[in-house]
Amino acid sequence: MATETPGNKDTGVTEHPEQAPTVKRPMRPITQLLISIAIIAVVVIATVFLFKYPQKLGPIFITALVVTLASFLLLLILRHFILIWFSYLHQRELSQDEPPDVYPFVSIIVPAFNEAEVIQSSLSSLLELRYPYYEIIAVDDGSTDGTFERMREFEGNHYGVKVAVFRKENSGKADTLNYGIRRSKAPIVVCMDSDSRLTPDALRYAVRTFADPNVGAVAGNVKVINRHNIWTKLQALEYIEGLNIVRKAQAFWRSVNVIPGPIGIFRRTAIEGTGGYDSDTFAEDFDMTVKILSAGWKINYEPKAVAFTEAPEVLLDIIKQRYRWSRGILQALRKQKHLLASTGGNITTPLSLWYMIFEGLVWPAMNIFSNLFFVWIALIYGMTKLLVMWWILLTILDLLIAIHAILMEREDIGLAIYAVFYRSFYILIIDVTKLFATLEELVGLDMSWGKLARKGRI
Amino acid sequence: MRFDWVNILATVIFVSIVVTLILAVASYFAYKVREARRPKTASELRQEGKVKVFFNEYTPKS
Repeated sequence: MATETPGNKDTGVTEHPEQAPTVKRPMRPITQLLISIAIIAVVVIATVFLFKYPQKLGPIFITALVVTLASFLLLLILRHFILIWFSYLHQRELSQDEPPDVYPFVSIIVPAFNEAEVIQSSLSSLLELRYPYYEIIAVDDGSTDGTFERMREFEGNHYGVKVAVFRKENSGKADTLNYGIRRSKAPIVVCMDSDSRLTPDALRYAVRTFADPNVGAVAGNVKVINRHNIWTKLQALEYIEGLNIVRKAQAFWRSVNVIPGPIGIFRRTAIEGTGGYDSDTFAEDFDMTVKILSAGWKINYEPKAVAFTEAPEVLLDIIKQRYRWSRGILQALRKQKHLLASTGGNITTPLSLWYMIFEGLVWPAMNIFSNLFFVWIALIYGMTKLLVMWWILLTILDLLIAIHAILMEREDIGLAIYAVFYRSFYILIIDVTKLFATLEELVGLDMSWGKLARKGRI
Repeated sequence: MRFDWVNILATVIFVSIVVTLILAVASYFAYKVREARRPKTASELRQEGKVKVFFNEYTPKS
């Protein structure tokens, strides 16, 4: 039953007709699989050739490899210390921040597609927020598992908090967020995932950053809620380190380069000025972040605006998630490539994008090859001491970083032990996925959004 | 009997790196196979004109 839509005013936010960035007929699955196998085969054969017959490439190859990897190690250590320094500076700034005098009206957009297992927990968390003045816009993106029916149980007014539920044809997350934003009214808009839970004080802390009129958006602090196997514990550590070190360091320059899907807080004028979320990449949150930065807005990070999210629990689901993130980021970077050379105005935006390229493209390949190189040196030249020293150095570095981040975040110190497996095991697997995802993006292989199975842990 | 800890540790590191890399490539391959075999999503089917929306859009009255 369609009725007139409230708040459906003509904003700068557009609605896109389709979910996936596909303009042509998709490839057959078997064709995609064969291309993927070909890429895997080429990479494996090239790597084996490189390390089995290095003499065929001449001594210059060995020299180049040694210099590159020495630079990699130096960069790795430098990167850690630079990030820690800036994250400390941002932390010092935050400790001086006062709560805001006035709390603005906030609209929370909850897009959902087949999230029946988690949607009620997510909406319940929103009704428990300690914030005086907000509304909830829940949008079902054509689910087939009863998500809509579970959402409707929350429809209505809950002690002054209005919950509006909408249902529309499936068109993807970006379009669903735009649909919700168009029907919201507040000057501050929170975009979240339906598998996330906000902590009661998340909004109170998030809005204080908007006291600076140049801040267009705020990235929240995402934590893993399901920590019951090695994969989820490793991801929990990854989130703690990534957010506490990298995002805080970026926030010192007000140039956070990813506003995470589970909790992103936007000034309405900033989000409308960009035309809303685009459906032509698989990383709509990164794409939106880049658009806001390129429009001249600053983006901050608020560690006390916490959202808990359900992390994938099995390896293949982690690979699926990271594959999508990697390709989505590359798609967004390709869209905004003109910003890489942009020097007018804010220098931090191109720097932030180059950092993403470095982290997404260069870093994974270097990490894989440095591992192989040290193994190769140990095998061919019997330099086992070098291998052991290299491993111990990195492990100590990872442990120190993990302990620092865990203490800053007041998290479970027991997670620190997973730092031992982090670089030599977990990150290696993630980097292999990133490498293949990059190659598949370069050859233009089709992909689809897919859907991670939810366990209802939030 | 004296253990050569450096060699033992080097062997453990060597084996773990090689096994992890093999596991990573094999898992990626398994993921691609799973993706090729999974049923098509609603949006993919709609692109091919094989699925129709069977519900009405819903918006609250006000």
